[in-house]
Amino acid sequence: MKMLREILLERHRAAAPKLDAIRREVMTELSNKDAKAQSRAGNFVASCLGGSHKLWLELIWPCRRTWAILATVWIVLFIFNVSQRDKSELAARKLPPPSPEAIIAWRQQEKLLAELIGPSAPGAAERRKIFLPKPRTEIAEFLTV
Amino acid sequence: MLVVAEREQLPVPQARAGEPAAWDALFHRYQLPLYVYVFELVHDEQTSLDIVQETFIAAVRHIGGLRDNAKFGSWLFGIAHQKCAQRWRKQNREEILREEIAELPDEFEHSPDDLLIRQEQEAGFMNLLNQLPLPQRAVLLLHFIEDFSLEEIAGITGANPGTVKSRMHYAKRALKKLLEEKK
Repeated sequence: MKMLREILLERHRAAAPKLDAIRREVMTELSNKDAKAQSRAGNFVASCLGGSHKLWLELIWPCRRTWAILATVWIVLFIFNVSQRDKSELAARKLPPPSPEAIIAWRQQEKLLAELIGPSAPGAAERRKIFLPKPRTEIAEFLTV
Repeated sequence: MLVVAEREQLPVPQARAGEPAAWDALFHRYQLPLYVYVFELVHDEQTSLDIVQETFIAAVRHIGGLRDNAKFGSWLFGIAHQKCAQRWRKQNREEILREEIAELPDEFEHSPDDLLIRQEQEAGFMNLLNQLPLPQRAVLLLHFIEDFSLEEIAGITGANPGTVKSRMHYAKRALKKLLEEKK
């Protein structure tokens, strides 16, 4: 007496070698893909390194003195820039606060200026109100009356 | 059961991590059951071998789509079933089956070992299996080969569990009838 599973599997047991071959084939493909992926990554790193080496040899190394002078100038400019920025910041921080006398003198000047300019300002405002243009219909009514 | 124990020890996480040895172990475990299932559906050796190979390749490619590691088996059979369906569609050999989906008695809710067959009955059993319509045959094979649950079979075949239950019922009834006749 057998289970149905056993019957089914035994009937096809002869296909096992072919299935093993298929499995090996798939596994070979799988490992080949892994190897290809690894070699691609390796190639990318190698090409990057090779490219930078070539750049160094062809672009920088032949004119190394020029590049060195340029680099020195850049460094000097950078240091000068940093030192100037520091000085201005320090100067701004070091400024003393205004004295109370100076504040009082500044307020008196402001009051005097307000007195001199003050009276003329409302008159101008009133004049503007007087000469406001009226709608044309009102003018027409006035003329008819 | 032996099948369940084997499922629990499957190296699916290692396969996800891309370990070739894990894939080899998984393929070795499933190659024959998968071949049996496909062969009993398509009845052509070369086509069956091709489908098994395609299934393995697809499994490696799409392992990221597997949500539950414990369901690797049903997932793999699902891929194979889809490959079979694609072949049927290509060859216009899809069988259409009309079934009554009715309330079924529980008398057929047994494990695969409920049907024990004598050696002289094997040929008759295989003949009957081949006479069954494709959907019933698929359900029965999945039940017997891997002891998949109704839900798992529904997932593999793309049918709803009620339909699977109905198919299982009719297929088992036909098998029992044959066995009783031959006694």
